[in-house]
Amino acid sequence: MDPILRIDDLCKAFGGIVVADHVALSIAPGEILGLIGPNGAGKTSLFNLISGVVAPDSGKIHLEGREIDGLKLHDRARAGVARTWQHMRLFRTMTVLENMLVGPRGYPGESLLASVLGTGRVRRAETDACDRAMSILDRMGLAATAEHIVVDLPFGQQKLIGLARALMNDGRLLLLDEPMAGVEGSNYLTMQRVVHDEAAAGRAICVVEHNVGFIKDLCTTAVFMAQGRILQRGTVEELTHSRELTELYFGTAEAH
Amino acid sequence: MEYLASTILLIGIFVILAASYNLIIGYGGLNTVAHPIFFALGAYTSGLLGAATGLPAVVCVLAGVAVAMAASFVLAITTLRISGDYLLIASLGFQLGLLQLVNNVEFTGGPAGLSSIPDTFAGPGRGAIYVVICTAAAALVVWAIWRTMNGPFGRAVRAMRDDELACAALGRSLIGMKIRIFALGCGAAGLAGGIYAYYFQYISPEQFQVAQSAEILTMVVLGGIGTTLGPIVGALVLVVLPQAINFLHLPNGLVGPAQGIIFTALVILFLFLRPGGLVGTAGAGAAH
Amino acid sequence: MIEPAILLQILWTGIAMSSYFVLLTVAFALTLKVEKLWNFAQAGLMGVAFFAMFYAMNALALPTWAGIAIGLGATIAAAVALEVWAIGVLRARNSGGLTFFIFTLVFSQFAAYALTILFGTEPETIYPSVMSPVRILGGVAVSDWDLLAVATTLALMAALWAFLRFTRDGQFMIAVSDNAKLAEIYGISAKRAYVISGVIAAIFLTAGIFLYGTRAGVTPDVPLVLVLTAVIGALLGGIGRIFAAGVAAVSLGLLQSFSILFIPSKWQALLLYGVLFGALILFPRGLPAWRIWRLRRRLGPATPPAAPEPLTEAGE
Repeated sequence: MDPILRIDDLCKAFGGIVVADHVALSIAPGEILGLIGPNGAGKTSLFNLISGVVAPDSGKIHLEGREIDGLKLHDRARAGVARTWQHMRLFRTMTVLENMLVGPRGYPGESLLASVLGTGRVRRAETDACDRAMSILDRMGLAATAEHIVVDLPFGQQKLIGLARALMNDGRLLLLDEPMAGVEGSNYLTMQRVVHDEAAAGRAICVVEHNVGFIKDLCTTAVFMAQGRILQRGTVEELTHSRELTELYFGTAEAH
Repeated sequence: MEYLASTILLIGIFVILAASYNLIIGYGGLNTVAHPIFFALGAYTSGLLGAATGLPAVVCVLAGVAVAMAASFVLAITTLRISGDYLLIASLGFQLGLLQLVNNVEFTGGPAGLSSIPDTFAGPGRGAIYVVICTAAAALVVWAIWRTMNGPFGRAVRAMRDDELACAALGRSLIGMKIRIFALGCGAAGLAGGIYAYYFQYISPEQFQVAQSAEILTMVVLGGIGTTLGPIVGALVLVVLPQAINFLHLPNGLVGPAQGIIFTALVILFLFLRPGGLVGTAGAGAAH
Repeated sequence: MIEPAILLQILWTGIAMSSYFVLLTVAFALTLKVEKLWNFAQAGLMGVAFFAMFYAMNALALPTWAGIAIGLGATIAAAVALEVWAIGVLRARNSGGLTFFIFTLVFSQFAAYALTILFGTEPETIYPSVMSPVRILGGVAVSDWDLLAVATTLALMAALWAFLRFTRDGQFMIAVSDNAKLAEIYGISAKRAYVISGVIAAIFLTAGIFLYGTRAGVTPDVPLVLVLTAVIGALLGGIGRIFAAGVAAVSLGLLQSFSILFIPSKWQALLLYGVLFGALILFPRGLPAWRIWRLRRRLGPATPPAAPEPLTEAGE
């Protein structure tokens, strides 16, 4: 099967700090890939490179066969890169539903004139998007929160809404930055279930997590990163049992 | 009667200015102080065009709107990379520089001002006609902004204000949105300028000083930033209250400064006593 | 061909005229550095300083030293009051940049209106005459005012440098400007640093407006124009670099002085705003070369420039 995401020889340095050192990576449909590594290994930086927050120094990124490394941040989202953020970055003055409705890419109602005039096409798009948003929230058991201001919700639910908003993009690639950190109980199970469902629906998912336990619960495969390099790729089991990697993990983590 | 008409007209003008400034600052989160200059561009364009060509007033006012929009495009694309305090200071340079230009070129009449604007709707009903036009324009602007901000576009704009990065990562072009917000808001200021020029038939650079942006901003903040009603309430209060001084029969030289003192004192009082605004702040994030 | 003597004269007069500009710019840059505040209220303080001195020395016919003492006292008192009862309150509320902008600008307008009611709109000068004795040195006319202005400016700058370098409060101010929260953890009072920077700014403002007011007429509107030019100097110097702001002020002063050779004087103000706008567009965060130099000095040569914030979301 053709991979959804393919990265070749990606390099990026900020001054002397190398955050991506000839990174090569591919993620297949249905795969949930975990990124493990010490702080400063370049995991979040890799997300930023893929989603277009920062531009690479060299290298190629392909999404479903299309070269996307020259695209701007918002154009990559429109190409189908959906991501979440470690600190969620929800739109804090807006309701849950409003947060969701910023999610769809290429939203026809957002033209200024259409917005003022409120044409039939805008209303239809709005209804469709609302339906989709509600069905996603429903899957997470959050339908009742739709009209709440998003920052009034408990932390775990906010994390879920971060994921839900990214799902509105409906892209084939999903980048999840620490989706599990601080999430407990039923929210944890919901997160796990939704991520697995999305992979089953054919998306390629990449997860950054510090906690190896979370990675075990979520991912099918994993790579180990340190100092901007990918050191090893394998199943989660293989990686967590590799002694040199665990030593490196904790050894380097200490140094930081 | 004429006094009443001009007061209502001023309220209408400032409702337009405050509502459009609120669009840019309150909803868009774009901290610019260059709002009076777009007011000035609308006023000068329509006034000069009317005086020079004798074209119908509507055409001249619309030309003023177009020029204000075009200038806003220049400000928008040159300042897109900067935000926050830096945008504030860059817009300050834009405002001061352009006004200095108006002050110094010959054809605007320079510091002495422009007084050859044709008298439209001359006759006893003049004040009333202008009041109707201005009120209608204010209502149109408020309605358009309300529609925009409560539709999908407004939602994306508020999202951008709350978190630019997250908004862009969801596929929204920040540049496009900023340009459109500036165009709509500054175009409205240009419209206010056109009506102002045609009614008062006299404009001069000192009516469009940077300090006026603090004045308009105060109306916005006083009423409630990021709300639809806020700017209307703010404009009403801050136009009407300083007028009270007219009934004290002060010597002529003192009226202006006394009005200024009342105005600035009100601003300072409200700033400390009612920081959320009179209407209440919808998007608390806007002012922070 | 312009004669060298004329160029020299323009250079000297430009330096002398930029003296008060330097003082006002440094005052603005200092509060910007320490308090992270674009303090447009300094225009109001300038107004207070000028009219206090003007009133003391003209209406009360006090000698110069007494006038300056009264001006200093009034300005420092106003600055401290402003800091404690207004800006401190807004800061404690976590008000946004816009609120500070409105407040400081409106405060200055309030002061201008109040001073208009008290003193009218006629330009006033501190002494009845703005002329001062002139001597010719090497073909260049040097007035007493020129010498006083340059000497005052140099002395105050040296004093500020020494204060920041050698006193505990000076060091504390720099610590607070680097990171107020961290400084507080180490037991440094940010409030105290803010008040002291306000007092120093008040001294500079008083000196600056004294020099201005012995050379040109002041109306209640003048201080606001002066503070706007100070903003430009502070910005071009690179935010956080007080002495570079002073140098930028001199450069701008000289640019204006020499521009009379090429463009009519009425365009000089436009030149300033053009420089401001252009500099911001080209270098949205201050001039780049100077930034790198600053980073090197802070971090040592081996370390790279700080990574942009989105990288780790550390900015949140």
